[in-house]
Amino acid sequence: MTVIEIDGLTKSYKAGKAVDGVSVRVERGEIFGIAGPNGAGKTTVVECASGLRRRDGGTLRVLGLDPEGDRRELLQRIGVQLQEAALPDAIKVGEALRMYASFYDKPADWRKLMEEWGLTDKRRARFASLSGGWKQRLFIALALVGNPEVVFLDELTTGLDPAARRMTWELIRDMRDRGITVVLVTHFMDEAEALCDRIAIIDQGRVIAEGSPRELIAKGRSASLDDAYFALTGRELG
Amino acid sequence: MKGITQVIAVELKLIIRDPMSGFFALAFPAIMMWVKLRTGKPLPGGLPVVDATVPMLSIFVIGLAGLVVLPATLAQYRERRVLKRLRATPASPAMLFGAQWAAHMLLAALGTVLLIIIGLAAFGLSAPANAAGVLLAWILGALSLGAIGLLIGALVPTGRTATVIGLSVFFPMVFVSGAMIPRETTSGAMRAIGDLTPMAPVVEAIRAAWEGNAISPVTLGVMVAMFIIAGGVAVKAFRW
Ligand SMILES: Nc1ncnc2c1ncn2[C@@H]1O[C@H](COP(=O)(O)OP(=O)(O)OP(=O)(O)O)[C@@H](O)[C@H]1O
Ligand SMILES: [Mg+2]
Repeated sequence: MTVIEIDGLTKSYKAGKAVDGVSVRVERGEIFGIAGPNGAGKTTVVECASGLRRRDGGTLRVLGLDPEGDRRELLQRIGVQLQEAALPDAIKVGEALRMYASFYDKPADWRKLMEEWGLTDKRRARFASLSGGWKQRLFIALALVGNPEVVFLDELTTGLDPAARRMTWELIRDMRDRGITVVLVTHFMDEAEALCDRIAIIDQGRVIAEGSPRELIAKGRSASLDDAYFALTGRELG
Repeated sequence: MKGITQVIAVELKLIIRDPMSGFFALAFPAIMMWVKLRTGKPLPGGLPVVDATVPMLSIFVIGLAGLVVLPATLAQYRERRVLKRLRATPASPAMLFGAQWAAHMLLAALGTVLLIIIGLAAFGLSAPANAAGVLLAWILGALSLGAIGLLIGALVPTGRTATVIGLSVFFPMVFVSGAMIPRETTSGAMRAIGDLTPMAPVVEAIRAAWEGNAISPVTLGVMVAMFIIAGGVAVKAFRW
């Protein structure tokens, strides 16, 4: 079953086109990766699909709903971790989870979630006092607190140390095993290769390649997804 | 309105954890009262100073919480992208507005109760002649001044700007409207200017009810109108 259908999505900011005709489909229960250079339009696609931005053109369906027209209903059923977002400095971990849970019709048990994500020991810690990795964990837990069917994760592992990154991978696989569809924006090709069932590479607002890691490696005539990424985007260092 | 009690509870805790807002809304008015009442002789007309000062400073506290702290909180949330994260949840702007208003007005209520307790314990404050009237006027004052604060907070991009705007609305207003200087002792010209501010009807209504004079329906009507207009525009103009 198709959970996300994006067709010919376009979005411009004052400076110009950010998304220029993106079409992708995401099936239920898969981990779908979005990769591409800085400024390619990845965040814009995710924000349009999760009802945070108005699109200029194209059609968008998430869980059969229009992210603009059926925003309220959609927000009850998706979870989002944003690239740029924060909580108030003085809020405590437990308070944030409990408050966010109260926004949803059928929330997850926030205490259980806190336990699962290893946050129980930190429940009285203030947001500002958490290190980057703990903040990210809290953001993941907040993305899951509404019992979502689809989760959007925008650069979840950026800024994490290698151990925290590996741990996060396990947690993302865990989400998939529970039947949640995951859309993962990432700059790390090892991460995309390890986690994603399919990946779309976006450059200058367009999808330039799409497929399973294996398909992309073959398409780029490369030995690894990392090499394939450079071959496909035509960008090399030096 | 799902989640509103949760948001109110959390926001109130956050406000109290901030030493600045706690100081200015709770300690500062109490200190001002002490300074004013140390040497008070009765006002022209014979009213003991304390019976004017406590109602007046309760409006100072409403104004500080509603016009200064409230817009700063909202604008800082916008600047720091706290609102952006909330926008990705089913929480509605109207619910968040209501909760922010309520949390800040609970701060003002705490400040007011503190002033009353100190007034009763140390300065021989007389109980309000019309307690229900005081409560009604206080709530309408909180609604009208709070709605203006929400409007500032709905529009201003950063916490710093909101604080500057909030203070520049609040300070002239408390001086000329009679929330710091009793209206009986100010010049006619100053009273005339003060009467044009949204704080004047709050001062008049709360003081009238405290002293047992009739509350002018005009002051109540003006407060309701300000709440509806400023609140309506704030909800419409709100940017995440
Ligand atoms: N709010 C905005 N206003 C104006 N321009 C914007 C805004 N957000 C993004 N842009 C521009 O749109 C383009 C796409 O941005 P976007 O954030 O979607 O890219 P991205 O692929 O997520 O990049 P990154 O990998 O750096 O996160 C960029 O050129 C960016 O400068
Ligand atoms: Mg991005």
